[in-house]
Amino acid sequence: MQQTERPLEASSSDRARLETLLTGVAAGDRDALGRLYADTRGAVYAMAVGILKNAQEAQDVTQDVFVRIWDRAGQYRPGGSPMGWVLTLARNLALMRLRQTGRVSSLDDDAWEAVPAQAPGVAPEERAVLQTALAALTDQERQIVLLHAASGLKHREIGQILDMPVATVLSKYHRALKKLRVRLEGDDAS
Amino acid sequence: MTERELNERLKNALDHAAPNDLDAVLSRCGTGKGNVIDMNEVKTNTKKKKSWTRMLIAACLALALLGGGGGVFYQQAYAIASVVSLDVNPSIQLTVNRSEKVLSCAGLNAEAQTVLADMDGGRDLKGAKLDVAVNAIVGALVRSGYLDKLDSAILISVEDKDAARGARLQQELVASVDGVLRTADNTASVLSQNVTASKTLESQAQKNNISTGKAYLIDQIVALNPDLDFDALAALSVEELRDLLQAGAPAMPIGQQAALQAVLDFAGLTENDYTFADTDPELDERTPYYDVELFVDGREQDYGVDAYTGEVIQGVKTPAVMDPGPALPQSDTPAMTEAEAEAIALADAGLQDAVFSVTRTDFDDGRLRYEVEFFAGGYEYDYEIDAETGDILSSDRERDPRTAFSASAAAAPTADPNGDIGQDAAVAAALDHAGLTEDQVSRLKCERDRDDGRIEYEIEFKCDGYDFEYTVDAASGAILDHERDWDD
Repeated sequence: MQQTERPLEASSSDRARLETLLTGVAAGDRDALGRLYADTRGAVYAMAVGILKNAQEAQDVTQDVFVRIWDRAGQYRPGGSPMGWVLTLARNLALMRLRQTGRVSSLDDDAWEAVPAQAPGVAPEERAVLQTALAALTDQERQIVLLHAASGLKHREIGQILDMPVATVLSKYHRALKKLRVRLEGDDAS
Repeated sequence: MTERELNERLKNALDHAAPNDLDAVLSRCGTGKGNVIDMNEVKTNTKKKKSWTRMLIAACLALALLGGGGGVFYQQAYAIASVVSLDVNPSIQLTVNRSEKVLSCAGLNAEAQTVLADMDGGRDLKGAKLDVAVNAIVGALVRSGYLDKLDSAILISVEDKDAARGARLQQELVASVDGVLRTADNTASVLSQNVTASKTLESQAQKNNISTGKAYLIDQIVALNPDLDFDALAALSVEELRDLLQAGAPAMPIGQQAALQAVLDFAGLTENDYTFADTDPELDERTPYYDVELFVDGREQDYGVDAYTGEVIQGVKTPAVMDPGPALPQSDTPAMTEAEAEAIALADAGLQDAVFSVTRTDFDDGRLRYEVEFFAGGYEYDYEIDAETGDILSSDRERDPRTAFSASAAAAPTADPNGDIGQDAAVAAALDHAGLTEDQVSRLKCERDRDDGRIEYEIEFKCDGYDFEYTVDAASGAILDHERDWDD
């Protein structure tokens, strides 16, 4: 049952690399910020879009997160979880944006946009995967699945970021996977 | 599609959908890193440093005499070029001229005034070189026990319109204080920042008897969580503020004094019952808490207090136990047995018996709970049950993967498979199960879904700080899954 550990866990080398990059950013190294951006922008976007459910706002918050990292990288304490730190920053900024804009979840989940309307790099099948698949999930399921896929964090780390017991994360994750498979394989068949 | 393939498709989609405009980010990043807090850790013995401290004070006095005795001053000698503040919990602010001589030194709160008492309230430092004055103050702070603890922190803030000079001063002061602490084998962190003050910030600082440097730090925390109250944050120590900032400012900590009072209430003690108390904030832990040590009748008693709720989560334990990993260790014997927890889960599932796979206790979020898993009728059931109250914290029922493809007929709903009770009836079933009415809940969502070949309604709502999630069989109206989580 719960022995299904997923394939995309963060390795210690990934952790060390991100930590080195954060140290570089703290020292004012713009190249380090660029490499950190390349490595983590997908995960940051996953966190933002999972909360905001709006591609444009999630893109804005993603950019804000990296400006905030530039300002605050010195606050990261070495030996912690660099990806966790980055994603906690992203979560806080996304929640702040949610409060500022007064947005509430739409009753109609199909209405939300996971992919920007103008995103030339996104293949049609990718757009369909994200859009169609995520319409099937609850808020918490969506955040867990997106974070897992994009960040490679362990379930326990995701639980820490989302403030959920690991058992709940695992339960929701596997339940969400089932839903996604049904939806996606149905779509493929059609 | 395998799990790996699914994850890879999602990852690719997210990577392509995410913005990829590094230049736009860099254009918003200044060349300087004005509000970065740099941390250094050093070790010290902390106590009995009177001799060197006095030497420093004597040096300050000598410099003050040299500086003040010449009788020839230029106007710029009195002009404030930089404002430097030192914050632990005492807040001390110095103004400095272009020659880095101290123009004034003031203790902004009562604790600071006590620390500066030996220096005539700071007046002895007037005319001293800034680094000498700062070292004298740090020595006094160490002597007063403010930097004794492992995680203590001192914040050095520099405000200077000349950014280059401000940055240089900051760097020099950090190096100087770091050297003083290193000499004394101290473990305190040295935090530093360049501050851009505003009238609002100065006004808030003045109102709360703190430095503009500490106000600047608090301002960053409020930016992270606008629900937090500036004035309440001003009462926290720099160590608490630093940890709060690093934790993303999720909520308002209760503060050291309230943590001590919570322990006294919990233990049935009064201020007269203990000889010594030490409260240490651990807000950067997985479960943020205050570590409170009391010496009662010659014995040390250790307590943990939840930093945000004030609940005492750790009773009388040795200090070694109070070094938590990701979660605090479980403490007491649960009020109910495993068998009782199993019985609660079975009753909720409407079953007489089941094959139990795993039953264990797990300490999470400071609460002792049982996780109960069992199989029955081709389904896997997962329950979390509060070991103290017997409350069902969460429950989940899924088709047992071992029988998912063979037992579909047996597990099929008994009602007409072509029937659909409709959204309103599904919502009513969920609300009825939760014992709530529609006007008591908010953020109500209902979605029709297909799962395992069956039509279901996924229903979510919020009430009294909890998130509720229900899965209702569209054919029979049966509650298939329900879960109640604390709304974070």
